[in-house]
Amino acid sequence: MSASKPGRVSRELARKLLETLGEIVGVRSVVLFTADGFEIASHAADAAASARLAAIGSSLSALGTAISAEAGLKDFDRSTIESSDGTVVIMHVGSGKDMSVAVVAGKEAVLGQLLWATKRCCQALQKVMV
Amino acid sequence: MSDEGDSEFKIVFTGPMGAGKTTAIAAISEIDPVSTEVDNTDRMSHAKLSTTVGFDFGRITLADGHLVRLYGTPGQPRFRFMWEILGRGAAGVIILLDAAQPGALVQMDLFIDAFLPLVPPGALVVGVGRTEADGALSSDAFASRLDARGIMVPVLSIDARKPADVLVLVQTLACILDAHLSSKVLA
Repeated sequence: MSASKPGRVSRELARKLLETLGEIVGVRSVVLFTADGFEIASHAADAAASARLAAIGSSLSALGTAISAEAGLKDFDRSTIESSDGTVVIMHVGSGKDMSVAVVAGKEAVLGQLLWATKRCCQALQKVMV
Repeated sequence: MSDEGDSEFKIVFTGPMGAGKTTAIAAISEIDPVSTEVDNTDRMSHAKLSTTVGFDFGRITLADGHLVRLYGTPGQPRFRFMWEILGRGAAGVIILLDAAQPGALVQMDLFIDAFLPLVPPGALVVGVGRTEADGALSSDAFASRLDARGIMVPVLSIDARKPADVLVLVQTLACILDAHLSSKVLA
């Protein structure tokens, strides 16, 4: 839990920033969500899918924080789930951990490019948070 | 008691948001519990400041030597996928409810329906908190609701902050599990 006041972001602005990730090779859908699993904005995901992805993403993010703390590692930042068919990246927006982004990509995506682009998107989102 | 053998088993604490699952596990765990709480942004649904989105984990050794792994679920239905993950391999389930929350009986139905298929027959106990609060239902109301549905599980009035109350829930479930084991051995 963060002790600070949760950040806020315009849904429309967030959606435009998520769209930029859609230009990366292999990216299928992107969802921005709160730490407790509510969708804020999404790109290329239908309403039901983005709601589920937001809930699962928040659980994974919390589990990442828990296992990092258990291992004595500070500042959990992201997790990468890889399958034979693609990749899901879950990354915190800023250091407040109020919001995260989940990016679903197919196997044609290049992991390094995906992580770099997701990081840039998170940094852009952080700049527009109030 | 479970597929892990007789000396160790897993039980799951579930129930709606704010029923006391994280508190109950922390009250009896002999290790520092693992918690995955984050800020609650949905204050319309519940006023509490934080909410579990992954799971809680604790552990306790019962007087008879059984080691019990304690898992707590998130309470909101959008985390139902975690209910199913955590329910796998569980020897039994404890459903915690807040008798003063609106719709508490409907909430009980939701969790009964979700978890009954995941555990051995009858391996379920209901703990009802805040029965003394203004406007709260009595524990009898929850028992009657279950009776009307033909579901026979113990319903106990508890305070999730009190280790003794939570232990009674765990021990009650352990007795049910022992009875299951004995009937299997005798069969």
